[in-house]
Amino acid sequence: MTTVRESLGGRRVAVCVGAGGVGKTTAAAALALSRALEGGKVLVCTIDPARRLANALGLATLGNVESRVPEHKLAEAGLRPRGELWAMMLDVKRTWDDLVARHAPDPARRDRILRNRLYQQMSAALAGSQEYMAMEKLYELSTDRDYDLIVLDTPPTAHALDFLDAPDRILDFLGNETARALLAPALGAGRFGLRLAQLGGGYVAKTLARFTGQQVLSDLGDFLQGFQGMYDGFKERAGEVRAMLARPETGFVLVASPAAAAIEEALAFHERLHAESMPVAGLVVNRLTPDLWPAATPLPRAAELAAPLAAAAASAPDLGARLAATLAEHQAMAAAERRSLAGLLARIGAAHALVPRLEGDVHDLAGLARMADRL
Amino acid sequence: MASFGLLDRRLLVVTGKGGVGKTTVCAALALLAARAGKRVLVCEVNATRERVAPLLGAPASGPFVREALPGIFTTNVTPHEAMREYGLMVLKFRTIYEAVFENRLVRYFLRMVPGLAELVMLGKVLHEVRAEEGGRPRWDLVLLDAPATGHAVQLLRVPSALVDTVPAGPLRHDAEWMQALLVDPARTGVALVTLPEEMPVNEVIELDGLVRGELGMAVAALVVNAMPPARFDAGEAAELARLAAAPPPLGPAAEAGRIQALRAEAAGRYLVRARAALDLPTTVLPLLPVAEWGPAAVEEIAAALAAAPPAEGRP
Repeated sequence: MTTVRESLGGRRVAVCVGAGGVGKTTAAAALALSRALEGGKVLVCTIDPARRLANALGLATLGNVESRVPEHKLAEAGLRPRGELWAMMLDVKRTWDDLVARHAPDPARRDRILRNRLYQQMSAALAGSQEYMAMEKLYELSTDRDYDLIVLDTPPTAHALDFLDAPDRILDFLGNETARALLAPALGAGRFGLRLAQLGGGYVAKTLARFTGQQVLSDLGDFLQGFQGMYDGFKERAGEVRAMLARPETGFVLVASPAAAAIEEALAFHERLHAESMPVAGLVVNRLTPDLWPAATPLPRAAELAAPLAAAAASAPDLGARLAATLAEHQAMAAAERRSLAGLLARIGAAHALVPRLEGDVHDLAGLARMADRL
Repeated sequence: MASFGLLDRRLLVVTGKGGVGKTTVCAALALLAARAGKRVLVCEVNATRERVAPLLGAPASGPFVREALPGIFTTNVTPHEAMREYGLMVLKFRTIYEAVFENRLVRYFLRMVPGLAELVMLGKVLHEVRAEEGGRPRWDLVLLDAPATGHAVQLLRVPSALVDTVPAGPLRHDAEWMQALLVDPARTGVALVTLPEEMPVNEVIELDGLVRGELGMAVAALVVNAMPPARFDAGEAAELARLAAAPPPLGPAAEAGRIQALRAEAAGRYLVRARAALDLPTTVLPLLPVAEWGPAAVEEIAAALAAAPPAEGRP
C-alpha cells in the first residue's frame, strides 16, 4: 500500500483538514519535514495561534513571512535534509489588507476601505475570515513562489467543512446580489445614507437604525461604496483559488483521531471533496491506541501473569491483577477505536496512516521526524 | 449536595478547548442541579448537531425549549430564531416584525453587522437568565454549553464591544444590561474544562486570563476531565518498561501497563501545572473507559462531580 508521504509525492500543494485537536498542525509539519528530508524546497503554513509549530521547528517566532528552519537546528536533531524546510504563520488581518490593496483601483480607495470600522471588524472577527485568507495566502504562495511543496495547516474551525464554505460565504457577504441590485442607484448617487430611507420604505430604514444605530448603517454604506467595482476582482480570484484546489497537483490530507466527532468530520469532508472532484491524497488517524493482543485469543487473567512475573522477580503481589485489568481496558479501547474507524477506512480508498498515541507529545524536530516515519 | 456552590449562581458558562468534554460536564451538572430540586435550562449555541438532550437520553430540542428530563430543559440557540425572538420583543408586533425582518435587504444588513448574530444568541440566553414567571425566576440555573475557547471569548465579548462602539440606543441599552449580568460574580460564573494534556492545559491557562482580564468575568471552577488513575508507582513503571519485551502474555500486559503509567505520569504533571497556574477550586474527574457516550456515562460523571465538587473559595 502506498503511504501518505508517497501519495503526496508528485504534488505541489497539500491541505491538512480535520476537526480541532486531532493533530493537524503536527501532521502538516511532519509531512513538510519528510519531503524536505528527501530533497525539495518545502513550506509549511499554519495559523496555529499556540505557536506550537514554531516551537517544534526550533524557531522562536513565526511571522507572516516565510522563514527557513536553520540547518544547524535540523542537524542537532540528527537530520540531514537534502532539501529546505520553510515555515510561516498566517496573519489574517495582513492578508486581508494585502488583498484589498491588490484590488483597489487607487490608493485613496484602498485607504478608505482600510480605515472603515466595519472592514476592520470584518477582517479580524468575521466567521470564515480566517479560512478565506488561508486559501488566499495559499494561492498567492503557490503562484508567486518556487516551493516544490506547500503544506497548509487549516484553521481550527468549529466544523471542518467551514474551510471550503468560507470563501463563498464571504463573497456572498461582499457581493450580495439583492443588496447590490437594490443599492446600485443609491451607491451610484453617492448618497447612501439618504437614499437608504427610500429602500423598502423609510420605516424599514428607521427600524433598522433602532437596532443598530445610525452609525453602523453609515459605516456599512461607506464600506459598500468603497468596495464598489472591486467585487469582480475578488470573485475572479476566488474562482482561481477553487480551481487550484481541484487540480491533481493538489492533495487534501484528512486528519482525524479515533474520537467519534473527529471521524464524523473526516467522513463529511471526504464526501464533500468527492462530490466536488477535489483530490484526496490520504488520511492520517492520530492518537490511536495500539493493538497489543490478538482479538481471537482470550485476554490473560491475573493468575496467568503471576508465574512469569515471579520468574522476572517482580515484587508487588497484586501487580498481575493490575496488569490484567490494564490490558483488558487497553484492548477494549483499541477495539472500540477500530470499530469506529472501520467505516471511515472502508470509505476512503486513498493512502492512510494509523499513528499510535505518541508517548509524550511532539515537541521538537526529532519528534516530528519520528512522526513522519509513520506517515 | 447542598454545598455544591458551583450551581448556586443563576448562570454558569461552561467552556474549554474543543474535545475536552464540555458538553458531558454540562449535562452532568444539569443532572446534579435537577436532583437538588432546581429547575435548569441548558443552552447550546448554534450546534450543528445537538448533543445535550441526546446525552440525557432525550430527543433533540431544536431551537425551542423542551423538557429533556424532569426539571431539565434544553435548547439549541440559533441566530435565525434568536433574531426573530429579539425582533419580536423589540417591535412588539408580528406584522411589523415580518415587514421589517423578512425584508431581504434588511436580512442582508443584519448579517453584515459584525457581532449581531452573537449578540442576539447571547441575548436570548441572558434573557432566559433574568426571565420571571409568577414573581419568581423562570430558571433556578441556566447552563451555557459555550463554544470552544476562541469562539466562546468572541461570543462573550460582544456586549462589551458594543458598549464601547455603539452610540446610545436600544442596542446599546441591551448590551449594557447583558454586560452587567455577565460580570456580576454573584449571578454569573465560568467553569473551565480541560484534559490533563499539554495543549488543553496551555489553552485553559490562556483562557482563564482572557475570561478574567478581557471579559471581566468570574471563573468559578476548573474541571480536569478524564484523569487516568495512578495505577503503578515509579519503580513499577521502570520495571514494566523492562518486562514489555517479555513473550506473551506478560509482554503485552506489561506494555499496556507501561503505556498507562506513562500517560498517568504525564497527566499528573499537567494537572500540577494547571493547578499551579490557575489557583481555582478544582475537580478532577476520572478517565472512564467507555466507548459510547450516553446517559450511563453522564451518570458516572455526575457521580464523580458530586463526590468531589470544586470547593468554593481559594484552596
